[in-house]
Amino acid sequence: MAALETIESFVEGAPPGELADVIADIKALTVSDPGLVSKLGPAFEKYNEEQFATAKLPGSTQPVIVSSHSSLGGGRYFDVESSTSFEYDHATQKASGAHSYVLEGAQAELTKSTLKSLSPYVKEHFPNAAYGVYPIENDSKVAIIIVANKYSPNNFWNGRWRSLYIFDPSSGALEGSLKVDVHYYEDGNVRLLTSKPIATSISSGTGAGIVKEMGNAEKKYQEELNRGFTSLSEGAFKALRRQLPVTRQKIEWDKVASYRVGQDIGGGSSRR
Amino acid sequence: MASADPFDSALDLLRRLNPKHTTKHLQSLISLAPDLTEDLLSSVDQPLSVRRCKQTGRDYLLCDYNRDGDIRPPLGAAGGGESGGGATPSEKVRRMEVKANEAFDVYRELYYEGGVSSVYFWNLDDGFAGVVLLKKEAKPGSASEGSWDSIHVFEAIDRARMTQYNLTSTVILSLSTSSTGLGDMDLSGNMTRQIEQELPAESDEQQIANIGKLVEDMELKMRNLLQEVYFGKAKDVVGDLRSVGSLSEAGRDREAQRELIGSMRR
Repeated sequence: MAALETIESFVEGAPPGELADVIADIKALTVSDPGLVSKLGPAFEKYNEEQFATAKLPGSTQPVIVSSHSSLGGGRYFDVESSTSFEYDHATQKASGAHSYVLEGAQAELTKSTLKSLSPYVKEHFPNAAYGVYPIENDSKVAIIIVANKYSPNNFWNGRWRSLYIFDPSSGALEGSLKVDVHYYEDGNVRLLTSKPIATSISSGTGAGIVKEMGNAEKKYQEELNRGFTSLSEGAFKALRRQLPVTRQKIEWDKVASYRVGQDIGGGSSRR
Repeated sequence: MASADPFDSALDLLRRLNPKHTTKHLQSLISLAPDLTEDLLSSVDQPLSVRRCKQTGRDYLLCDYNRDGDIRPPLGAAGGGESGGGATPSEKVRRMEVKANEAFDVYRELYYEGGVSSVYFWNLDDGFAGVVLLKKEAKPGSASEGSWDSIHVFEAIDRARMTQYNLTSTVILSLSTSSTGLGDMDLSGNMTRQIEQELPAESDEQQIANIGKLVEDMELKMRNLLQEVYFGKAKDVVGDLRSVGSLSEAGRDREAQRELIGSMRR
């Protein structure tokens, strides 16, 4: 693999909230070729758009989202709720140059009514999230995004929840994906990565109808995920290694040689 | 700012990138910084590979400690007792390696009810050292899949009437499950812990018993820790990101509770 491709794959794999750490590591590993890092621009842009990077605009409290769906091209993005467009620096993850942005077009009304329902829904279920609704594909569809981050680097963990939905008003189809990414790295490296596709339809075609269906899908998914933890714990984890032997006692190591005589333990066969 | 040490940066990166693909990341790092090859291979634990002994037909485990050049199977029960190849220990340490392989075969059956184990010993100037390897894979094809790799590296240093044991243990645990309702869920990673302890060891049997106890206690501790992180912490973080119940209701409940406690204090 070429060196640039290698460091691009490192950027792509950066856990939530740890892009700056990954970049620092890459810089230290490529001191002999300092020009390499300056070629990471496209990788940063892809990472930020896929991870729904958030930024705070000057004078605003509600964060705005960077994604391919809210891109105006040329490094500028728009946010409907605050009626702003802004410039985003993909390397430093900072927003600047905010301008007024007025949404017009065929999906403007649906976009605004979806936002109106989305805002209270997000506040009810996400303690710290950014959200947005954007007309896409030549004003033929609407994209809805929620991204929730919780970073706790002092305690060695970070997490991200991403919801993406595309609503097609002509068919009433609502499709998308829910993704969770949790990283825990105290004296180790543990990662939870989940992905769940969503495919449903909205008969009413209204913003309220869309958000109601999103709420149903997300509630159902989170309950499934909680069951997933239980099933892995009770299933695969238990099947790998017992907490104690069947006898519920630790091994008497000074008598371990006699275990072979005293009980059939299978003679150490690895295939059962 | 002085630039960070490339080796530390490589380790930091491996602590951040998806632990399910450590072997791939390691190869990438080596291609990026070939100078670090030896240091990285000897300090980064990877999932163990299984080989079959040609003499006995039994499986044994490979790791960095018998990585380069002449790989040899462990001596004793789990291996073929082939001589030659690898760093061959002294006669005394050889005998202990044979016994340790037998003892950890018992351990493996009791705790893992299957899997593969291998123990390798080698001489040190002031004692001996070794590695205890255990691997188990959960049956693929069932609803959930998984694999467990234990790598216990120890030194046993002679002291007056006592032996000083330094143990560094890594467990690599990968779990995954998928279904229509759940989609894909992958929970993978590794954790490392160290312990130092002085114990009396007057015979070879006692040496093996001491190492056995240290490994057994360490694995119990790490299994509990993994359970806490994988099924407690990770799940809690998901709950911190999104609340199944309504946040405003939860807030009102907390407020009501505070008022109740407040009124009781008055």
